[in-house]
Amino acid sequence: MSLTCEHITKVYGGREVLKDVSLTLEPGKIYGLIGRNGAGKTTLLSILTAQNPATRGTVAVDGEPVWENRKALERLCFSRELNVGAESGIAAIKVKEYLRIAATYYAGWDKEMEKRLVALFELDGKKKLGKLSKGMLSMVTIIVAMCSKAPYTLLDEPVAGLDVVAREQFYKLLLEEYAATGRTFVISTHIIEEAADVLEEVIILHEGRVLLMEDTQALLERVRYVSGKAEEVDAAVAGLEVHHPETLGRSKGVTVFLKPGQQVEESRDVSVQLVNLQKAFVALCGEEERHEA
Amino acid sequence: MNEQLTEQKSIYLQISEMIETDILRGILLEEEQVPSTNELAKLYTINPATAAKGINLLVDEGILYKRRGIGMFVSPGARGKILEKRRAAFARDHIAPLLAEAKSLGITREELLDMIREREL
Repeated sequence: MSLTCEHITKVYGGREVLKDVSLTLEPGKIYGLIGRNGAGKTTLLSILTAQNPATRGTVAVDGEPVWENRKALERLCFSRELNVGAESGIAAIKVKEYLRIAATYYAGWDKEMEKRLVALFELDGKKKLGKLSKGMLSMVTIIVAMCSKAPYTLLDEPVAGLDVVAREQFYKLLLEEYAATGRTFVISTHIIEEAADVLEEVIILHEGRVLLMEDTQALLERVRYVSGKAEEVDAAVAGLEVHHPETLGRSKGVTVFLKPGQQVEESRDVSVQLVNLQKAFVALCGEEERHEA
Repeated sequence: MNEQLTEQKSIYLQISEMIETDILRGILLEEEQVPSTNELAKLYTINPATAAKGINLLVDEGILYKRRGIGMFVSPGARGKILEKRRAAFARDHIAPLLAEAKSLGITREELLDMIREREL
């Protein structure tokens, strides 16, 4: 039982957007997919749910290939950002009509939940999608994802455009639904720090490759920010995996990713701090080049 | 149970320490049920697996115990156990950083002891 992709490569116009991506998503977990713009997140999510064919590689859900397989597709929901531009054709559809159409795709659609969430987000069902704000469109995609009851539900940027209160509502809603059903969720987001504690595992996608996939808390337990006098810092982190060095006069700060058994040299006069997921992500995927100290 | 989480410590440790503190302060009483992992997850907006890790740490230490099909409860004698544990950790958690800061400021041992004597406990 899992949603699995093997050796997925996707080429758009001669450019490799995904490069040999293999992943196994276990049932009953909340995954986070993070990466910079253009890292390939949306492409990966759309290939996992057979909305988009891979150039090479295979995707299977609970052992069934997903491509053109109705039985497999019933287990998947991909809730992507709605495009209501002039060419999209959905701008003139009313919210409640859109939800009615979405309901026909999912055997387990929860009508009661739909009513509850439309009320929670204070959406006007009679409004046309083209008249909704970015945040309201995100609410519609969240409602589709939740009410689909699909065992594997993938949400692409569900909190884009939502204000801080609505984002908090979304994460609480997600945890409630997860507690009640144990469905698997994959959430991509740029607002990393708010999501970090909700994500059991984090997948970092960088330039079309999976840079890292790890239990979020375990990852944070092995990342340290070490700062102090430059020579002391260099001595303290000698031999460790060092990222993102920053200097200011004689002072220096580096982010280190410890491997099992490693630690920052304790006898040195340096500050050693834990970092949050956002800082760990920037250290890994920021512009500065990586080097071994 | 309503303290805020910080970045400078693992969340599961903060969850277990908050439950301990609530037991020390009499907010949670012995033989009383503690919030479920799902309740904690929703309150703090954290993954239930993280909340469960914090709870299980206290079960391993005998501070909480599980009643099958009902939930987690505060063990008899939990308060005494927590006091004993925190006293044992006091020197490491509080005295060591105090000494380190005193040293970097050039405060002598006698000056430090005088400062402590001047304060009422």
